[in-house]
Amino acid sequence: MALPQTQVGATDMLSVSNLTTSYGLIKALNDVSLVAKEGQVTCILGPNGAGKTTLMFTLAGILKPVSGSVQFDGIEIAGLGAPKVLQSGLSLVPENRLVFPLMSVRDNLMAGAYLRHRSKRIEVENDLEKMYERFPVLKQREEQNAGTLSGGEQQMLALARALMSRPKMLLLDEPSVGLAPKIVDEIFAIITQVKSEGMSIVLVEQNAIKALQVADHFYFLDQGRVSFNGNPNELENEDVIRRAYLGQ
Amino acid sequence: MEFLQTSLDGILFGSAYALLALGFSLIFGIMKRINLAYGSSLLLGSAIAVWVNEHIGLGPLGLFLVTITAAALVNIYVERLCFCPHVGKTGVTASMIASFAIWMQLDEISSQLLPQRTHEFPGIEIGSVEIFNLYLRGDQILNLWVAIIAISALFLILRCTRFGLLLRASADNPETAKLLGANVSRIGIVTFAIAGFLGGTSAFLILSSDGHVTPLFGLWSTIKGLVAMMLGGVGSLVGAVLGGLLLGFLEAHTTNLFGAEYRDISTFGILFLVLILRPGGLMGVAHYRTDRLAHERI
Repeated sequence: MALPQTQVGATDMLSVSNLTTSYGLIKALNDVSLVAKEGQVTCILGPNGAGKTTLMFTLAGILKPVSGSVQFDGIEIAGLGAPKVLQSGLSLVPENRLVFPLMSVRDNLMAGAYLRHRSKRIEVENDLEKMYERFPVLKQREEQNAGTLSGGEQQMLALARALMSRPKMLLLDEPSVGLAPKIVDEIFAIITQVKSEGMSIVLVEQNAIKALQVADHFYFLDQGRVSFNGNPNELENEDVIRRAYLGQ
Repeated sequence: MEFLQTSLDGILFGSAYALLALGFSLIFGIMKRINLAYGSSLLLGSAIAVWVNEHIGLGPLGLFLVTITAAALVNIYVERLCFCPHVGKTGVTASMIASFAIWMQLDEISSQLLPQRTHEFPGIEIGSVEIFNLYLRGDQILNLWVAIIAISALFLILRCTRFGLLLRASADNPETAKLLGANVSRIGIVTFAIAGFLGGTSAFLILSSDGHVTPLFGLWSTIKGLVAMMLGGVGSLVGAVLGGLLLGFLEAHTTNLFGAEYRDISTFGILFLVLILRPGGLMGVAHYRTDRLAHERI
């Protein structure tokens, strides 16, 4: 299978080819190939059970693929395991945020920088201050347990925690899930801001309309396969959604 | 004055219970697992130390070091055998039953090492002190200091080090901790090793003030540790320390009022009352409330 065509210009940051991941006999990802470019937002759309989270977990090294390759920033990361993938600069913000509820906001952020904590203590402290500037609400809640934050605040915390590892690329799994529309707008504003600072992002979303507003390129995943891909501006949003969710 | 003297004796002895309960609570808090083989690991650790002492002779410090090291190693053995292979929610029951089975194995090895009913466990001879008419045994003051140092070291490691941060993170949410680069297998080993050091210290303190070790010590320390942990509140480290001190305090008063034969009965009487009046233990209710609230929100 040839790699899908994407825009020319930016270099490929992440290229996935023929990736297959199984849960026992069930193939959750079947021969998936896609490319995410540097400095862009690449969006993965698809209905429930399409394999979006499986794809994210495989990219982040939590799940081991059966076959296929994942090239990230020039190195092969498929099957390396979560710590090494994180060290290579790919950081996942998991679905439902998954903060550490009984730890303070500060400790949550420090845990995000765990892998580079020993060698670069001062740098980590500086990054912590930067996160507080970007997310002032986290500064206000610094000593509070993360479990006491609202859903939107927890999403910000999860995002900030991922940024604490100084990634080259962020994997965002359903950042809008379970949040009020106003908070979803805030989260997407933050995603746009992070992107404008040059971060490469792979975004998984159910909220297709929102996602297509920030995406440079999108892939549609259905039953573990990429069914089509394209640029948001080539298609009307309605078209994408109709083709995606209604199969037309 | 007698009340004060008894309370003081109880708290001094209770500091060793606190260490026992901390070992249980640490494993429960971080791994969400109950290690029923804990007491027998401590017995085997002590038995190895006594065996070495009888064959080549160890000073008090040597005996202490061999006890805690052996206890930590036996604890790691239990972790690799009973806890490491069982992951996820189903693993909770499987690992608990496995640890119960291995309890028997460890007790058997201990009885082979200690063939007689009792073996001497050399104590530390320190003179007694008298302050304001209060009479304090020197070895018990040492016990208290050792316990304070061990407990402070544990809390410092958990609060102030990079590894402690990781331990707390994986206690809170192991899946996410993995995502941030935690090596879960290594966390298991280190947690059990720390619990072994704490329990080994406790075993040394208790056995050296008793002056002897019997094969029943495994069961005895399992019961005392579990009761102290239940008193303080399951999963709360501060609760474990308080529970241990409280257990020592109450036992000392029962012994003083009704005689030593009622000491162990009082242990279960107190447990009975706590389970009726405050089922989660003294600190447990609050601990569970925050825990539940926190997990409901995400």
